[in-house]
Amino acid sequence: MRQSPANEGPVQNVQTVQIVRQPVRSSNALNELNVSNKWNESNSLVEIQAVSKSFHKTVKEQTTEVRALADVSLSIRENEFVSIIGPSGCGKTTLLKMIDGLIPCDSGKILIDGKQVTAPGPDRAVVFQAFALLPWRTVLANVEFSLELRRLPKEDRTKTARDYLRRVGLADFENHYPHELSGGMQQRAGLARALAVNPSILLMDEPFGAVDAQTRQLLQEELLELWQRERKTVIFITHSMDEAVYLSDRVVVMTPRPGKVAEILDVPLRRPRVSEEVRRDAKFVDLTNYIWESLKKAMENH
Amino acid sequence: MGTNVLSFLSLAVLWEVAGRAMNSTLIPPLSQIGAAWWKLLSSGKLLANLSMSLTTLAIGFSLAMLFGIVLGLLMGRFRAVEHFFDLYVNALMSAPSTAFVPVFILWFGLGVESRIAVVFLFAVFVIIINTMTGVKQVDTVLVEMARSFGAREREIFFKIMLPAALPAIMAGLRLGIGRAVKGMVTGEMLLTLTGIGAMIMQYGSSFATDALFAVILTVLMVALLTMKAVHWIDRRLTGWKAEIAVE
Repeated sequence: MRQSPANEGPVQNVQTVQIVRQPVRSSNALNELNVSNKWNESNSLVEIQAVSKSFHKTVKEQTTEVRALADVSLSIRENEFVSIIGPSGCGKTTLLKMIDGLIPCDSGKILIDGKQVTAPGPDRAVVFQAFALLPWRTVLANVEFSLELRRLPKEDRTKTARDYLRRVGLADFENHYPHELSGGMQQRAGLARALAVNPSILLMDEPFGAVDAQTRQLLQEELLELWQRERKTVIFITHSMDEAVYLSDRVVVMTPRPGKVAEILDVPLRRPRVSEEVRRDAKFVDLTNYIWESLKKAMENH
Repeated sequence: MGTNVLSFLSLAVLWEVAGRAMNSTLIPPLSQIGAAWWKLLSSGKLLANLSMSLTTLAIGFSLAMLFGIVLGLLMGRFRAVEHFFDLYVNALMSAPSTAFVPVFILWFGLGVESRIAVVFLFAVFVIIINTMTGVKQVDTVLVEMARSFGAREREIFFKIMLPAALPAIMAGLRLGIGRAVKGMVTGEMLLTLTGIGAMIMQYGSSFATDALFAVILTVLMVALLTMKAVHWIDRRLTGWKAEIAVE
């Protein structure tokens, strides 16, 4: 896009200053009615501050710069369930990887519990979109993998892994290989692997995108149950509007590339949420429609 | 398995009939070859030569396996190592390996070392290339997953890359053992006349075609059995992959 990297620095900086304010202001305006803002300040666990990210893409020896994220700011409270929704290519997954510490920010920073993220840490665990199970390991050994890396003794690993497999309903499948299981069961194993290390923050990257509709709804319900029991902070990436509304305390709507925060919406639905009831609730329908409009607007303005 | 037996039996019958019909020393009937084979076996000559050849094969192939897997892993893991060796490996892979026999005579003399070198050269490149490809094709999602759970480079290599590349490495070994058998016989025929290769040359030049075919069939059996052995080990190590292929 641009010619020399020397030009890039200052140009980007100017944009940074302009855009930073917008999402913050709009989110403030939307949250006005809620007391959550005060809460935000004191209890925020994850603090995303004006984060930007660009990638260099080389096609036929021509390198172009793709801006994935531009000045994303967001704070997430402890035990909060936040969904990030946006069209494909809006940098949702990139943002999640940055929170996990897998990739660095170009500018801005991410704080967890006040400390800047530089690498993956034991306070976070990811549930991956394509499950990312090791095909040569049994389900039990897959769940043990995360504990192995944390240097847990063998007996404790097996005990903990079995415990979490039971919690996700896979107790009878510990000796199966991933390819012997359905997509939904594979993702349950992925969830057990993430929960087994007992992270305070669960990062979920479109975890139910690769399973059929019924299984998806079932997994959503199970996830909410687990979340209510385990009290984790969840950051959940999705492109499904009703999934975002059903699960979350807040929904963050993002714009297409470069991804920015378009709006942050509170979900005024009481918990525990029963799937059939919630989905018929007028507030659920209104909010889902509102997000649809918001996404459409974001696409058009793009 | 059934079709294998059927094809083998019909070929054997065809050979026997053709051999008897032609009544020439050039194509002896199978029963005559079998008799010659039994004679070679009971005299101890075949086994003595075979054990000599197989020793060369075992040493040469082990070295090729060790060197090929290590270099292949390094080339797959590190771009710089790949760029450094890429050209030579590909050039030597497609070059006729027999061209190097005179070089080995100069370097290692006419002893067993030269024959081991020929076996090594025949087998090593296909192992290197398969291993490298295996490492390079490891799913990046799995590496990312490991990293996310705090894996260090060592752990990523041993717990992700190596097991993920294992099917490709085993495929390389399967191709490699076949080539190693070729190298074994080639070395024995072109260097010093020893082992199985010497028997082939000797019976070939003296028109002892029944004995000649007996030895050739023995070589084929060795090739088949060693490949089966590697395949068996492969199934043991990467059963998870084989089952996927069946589905």
